[in-house]
Amino acid sequence: MNVVLVGLSHHTAPVAIRERYVVTESALSGLNEKLVRGSDIDEAALISTCNRTEVLAVSRSPERALEHLLDFLRYELGDGSASVAHVYELRDADAVAHLLRVAASLDSMVLGEAQILGQVKAAYRAGVQGRSVGPILNRLFQSAFRAAKRVRSETGLGASPVSLASIGVQLACELFESLAGKKVLLLGSGAMAESALRGLQEAGAESVAVLSRTPESALRLARRFAGRSAGLDALDEELSAAAVVLCSLQVERPLLGRAQLEGPMRRRQGRPLLIVDLGVPRNVEPSVNTLKDVYLYDLDDLERVAERGRAQRGAALEAALAILASERDRFEAWCAQLPLVPTIRKLVQYANELARSEARRAASGATGSEASPEVLERMAERIVAKLLHQPLRRLRAESELAGGLYYADAARRLFGLELEDDEE
Amino acid sequence: MTHLTYELAALLYLAAGTLGALARTRPRAAGGMVGLLALGAGLHAVGFIGLHRQTPPVSLESFPAALSLIAWLIVVAYLLCLRMFPIRSVGVWVGAAAGLVTLAADAALRWLSPAAAGPHSGGTWSHAHVLLSAGGFSLLALASLAGLAYLAKERQLKHKRWPRLGLPSLEGLDRFEHLSLSLGFPLLTLGVISGFVWGADRGVSPWTGHSLWLLGAWAVYLLPVGLRVVRRQHGHLPARGVVLGFALLAFSYVGIRLLGAVA
Repeated sequence: MNVVLVGLSHHTAPVAIRERYVVTESALSGLNEKLVRGSDIDEAALISTCNRTEVLAVSRSPERALEHLLDFLRYELGDGSASVAHVYELRDADAVAHLLRVAASLDSMVLGEAQILGQVKAAYRAGVQGRSVGPILNRLFQSAFRAAKRVRSETGLGASPVSLASIGVQLACELFESLAGKKVLLLGSGAMAESALRGLQEAGAESVAVLSRTPESALRLARRFAGRSAGLDALDEELSAAAVVLCSLQVERPLLGRAQLEGPMRRRQGRPLLIVDLGVPRNVEPSVNTLKDVYLYDLDDLERVAERGRAQRGAALEAALAILASERDRFEAWCAQLPLVPTIRKLVQYANELARSEARRAASGATGSEASPEVLERMAERIVAKLLHQPLRRLRAESELAGGLYYADAARRLFGLELEDDEE
Repeated sequence: MTHLTYELAALLYLAAGTLGALARTRPRAAGGMVGLLALGAGLHAVGFIGLHRQTPPVSLESFPAALSLIAWLIVVAYLLCLRMFPIRSVGVWVGAAAGLVTLAADAALRWLSPAAAGPHSGGTWSHAHVLLSAGGFSLLALASLAGLAYLAKERQLKHKRWPRLGLPSLEGLDRFEHLSLSLGFPLLTLGVISGFVWGADRGVSPWTGHSLWLLGAWAVYLLPVGLRVVRRQHGHLPARGVVLGFALLAFSYVGIRLLGAVA
């Protein structure tokens, strides 16, 4: 089937590398177009989330395509800092199985989370817009969407995912006796941060402050979580009062460093501060964790926490893997039929044309508005005779040669004919 | 009989500590740990009565008896605090510490004659000194356990290795340490004052090795107390202070005597 995939993810590359390979949604379709233009690649789709950047492609020269994709990923999508060890290459069945796993959230940091399906759908849409998705990738994406839907509805994985919300609450409970009365500061927006905030609120966190670059988006989020909003200029003051900080800003370089936190930490008088950095690129300098009473967790750290939850979900995982295997088999069966497609199309076209011409002939010979049963019967007989004329002639001709029995057997199989023993 | 009671109590404390360690993977064991600690404390109290009825009786002012009293008070204070703080996992350390201290006290009681075990004046100041100091010592021991647990937990969280030790939250440990220090330090202060008055009553010089180290420990405790009361400071600084203070306090009670015995 010649499907190939090259990528890097939270399994292979640390966040310090991943953050250099983030592709914005608006840039996806242009890059897809560039991939298929004048290369060995027939179809392509780029997938970029905070935890992965992958290029999926179809090519008649898979070896050359893999080389091209590897260079494209390392130098066009990023700054070349990813080494070969950070990047994985998958082919055919492995590439297909991988996409199904990704869409069904089995490869996610947070097992069973729903956001990844939306991100894969966005990648598919960008591919369609960039005209880089052809029949094979189209079918593959549809299989992936169907598999993801089945995993969510038929297994328990989607019902109670090891969510960021639960991980955030677990972390907070390691620091605080109770979240009642605690203040949560949300920097920026984003599905993951909002999910974590929701979890903290359900666990008792009472007060929410939302800080964003744009006052409108801060206000909108603050309203949704019954909190209050402010601009980033209030950061210092808010850091002094918050117990948990969730960071999810789109920034090119870290927003929070040691220097920004030293003042607020002095005012906190030793009370612990949990910072969960969900941003890619990271919002907080790693050195912040060396400050006393500050506990910084970025996406890689959360991955390690999630890993433990993942191990506890064996049964649901097995069921999900079985679904993925069946969907992969369906896709592979479809791929195996691909060479027959032109023949089938011609056969159907030939039969339809013949039927239409016979219908016209019958209509012209009919008297009145409706054709008589005799006319219809003759028409059906002519259609059958014409449809079978060529195959029967070929069958008789072949019977005089060595392959005759093979053709007779094929005809029986094709038309589902069962012969009585004495007829044989 | 008294020795057997003490030894049984010590074994129950140690068994409780072991159950506490198992409770990290088997939560039901935590209930067993609390039960064994309570049973051990009950037996330990019976041991005190036996000690008092012995002829000649062993005074609580004697070093081994005071040591045993401290172990018992640590367990009792821990059991009382269990209702207010989620500190079950600290029970591992409480059980181990109380068990070992009780065994040491019992061994000292076996080997030393009642006269050699320590002074026996029976006066009000001596009783006040022993009871107040033992109360203060046991509460400060709990504060230092909480401080140690805080520092261990802080390290775990900084290195993202949680929750291997299954310790309570940082905030819970900080609050427990605060309460133990708030109650233990005034008791220790009163114990130090009553000790000086007792010494003056007996016409003994107050400037012994024990009293000097005790004063040093008391002065060190001023740091975490000052941080907590004056600056309302939480976290690692007071935790370090209570651990250091207790190390000096333990040395003033036990180390100085051991050094004296060796000399």
